[in-house]
Amino acid sequence: MSAETNTGQDKKPWRLSLDSWAVVVALLAALLVRAGVFKHIPW
Amino acid sequence: MADAVVIPQVQPVQPALRFLRIVPGVLLLAAIGYAGKLLEVNVGKYAKSHHWVFPNIEYVLWAIVLGLLISNTIGVPEIFRSGVATYEFWLKAGIVLLGSRFLLGDILKLGGVSLVLVAVEIVGSLAFMTLLGRLFKLKPKLTTLLAVGSAVCGVSAIIATKGAIDADDEDSSFSIAAILALGTFALFTFPLIGHYLHLGDRAYGIWAGLAVDNTAEATAAGALYSDAAGKLAVLVKSTRNAMIGFVVLAYAIYWASQGQAKAVGNKAAFLWQKFPKFVLGFLLISVLATYSFFNKEQVGALANLSRWAFLLTFAGVGLRTNFRDMRKQGLRPFAVGAIGEVAIAIFTLGLVIGAEKLFGF
Repeated sequence: MSAETNTGQDKKPWRLSLDSWAVVVALLAALLVRAGVFKHIPW
Repeated sequence: MADAVVIPQVQPVQPALRFLRIVPGVLLLAAIGYAGKLLEVNVGKYAKSHHWVFPNIEYVLWAIVLGLLISNTIGVPEIFRSGVATYEFWLKAGIVLLGSRFLLGDILKLGGVSLVLVAVEIVGSLAFMTLLGRLFKLKPKLTTLLAVGSAVCGVSAIIATKGAIDADDEDSSFSIAAILALGTFALFTFPLIGHYLHLGDRAYGIWAGLAVDNTAEATAAGALYSDAAGKLAVLVKSTRNAMIGFVVLAYAIYWASQGQAKAVGNKAAFLWQKFPKFVLGFLLISVLATYSFFNKEQVGALANLSRWAFLLTFAGVGLRTNFRDMRKQGLRPFAVGAIGEVAIAIFTLGLVIGAEKLFGF
């Protein structure tokens, strides 16, 4: 068996995943709507 | 290596340059999505003014079909590819924002039911796909990838499992191609079957969330039926997505015990790394909505933002589907996937109809 360990973590410099970016952007958008910066978003 | 699914390699470039690279593709997604929205309104109006009997085709379908037409005729030029690949980002941001339309009580009620259904679906699907893989004499790791892709959540699950079990690139490429092809097929057939069986929005939404593999296709298959079905499909699919870490961890431990993958060190860190964070974002927004952090108009604005994000996603679903590339992948993995998907669709339909009678949702 390989002696290496699968930690589930890449050995790259730490950075946000696509998932986390999507959450950050969506939450930011929600806060801007809450703050009244975007009052009406048409569809 | 087969080239059905091109996973863009991220080059070490400056953030500003990386951002500029995605702009043309994002604009293409927006243009196709918006064209789909215009077509929905104008084709319907035109048909009505000419007294034609023409079904109301939703923007979801128009956006996917326009994307498919471009991808399978002129193809997607290189300059647009990085941006088109962001459709997953828009999907996840859209799901987080959709959380504003769910009250926590609804999530707990429906999430509880869907959690039971999801658990049954995952165990049944993994067992059935493993059996099929053995019957068709597929390579064991290819079978694992197909099983995880069908049971949990499509492409993301396959990519997560590939890294954890040291599977070949070719195996993951085969599996992704099969799951994508079958997802596209489900997208067009599920709404027809749902209407034929007169399924209610809730039953259909839960079925789409349980049986359609990829999150983008599950969201689209739900939205094609109705707005309410789309919401439910996203909720159930997100519950499935939340299971990804546990399933991948189980397979990683199994393959490590066979001496064919690296041993799993910190299991909690492994689970956290594989856990889809957008599910947490979705829950957070719904908690905020439940406790009236947003007023009615703001909830409406967030729901519309979510629709715009999905619009880009649906355009991306069409653009990244290339039938010619899928055909190159060979028939056997596709046959296993197809037989498995049909069986899972029938099995989950039975589950949903049974649960509907039992829980009365």
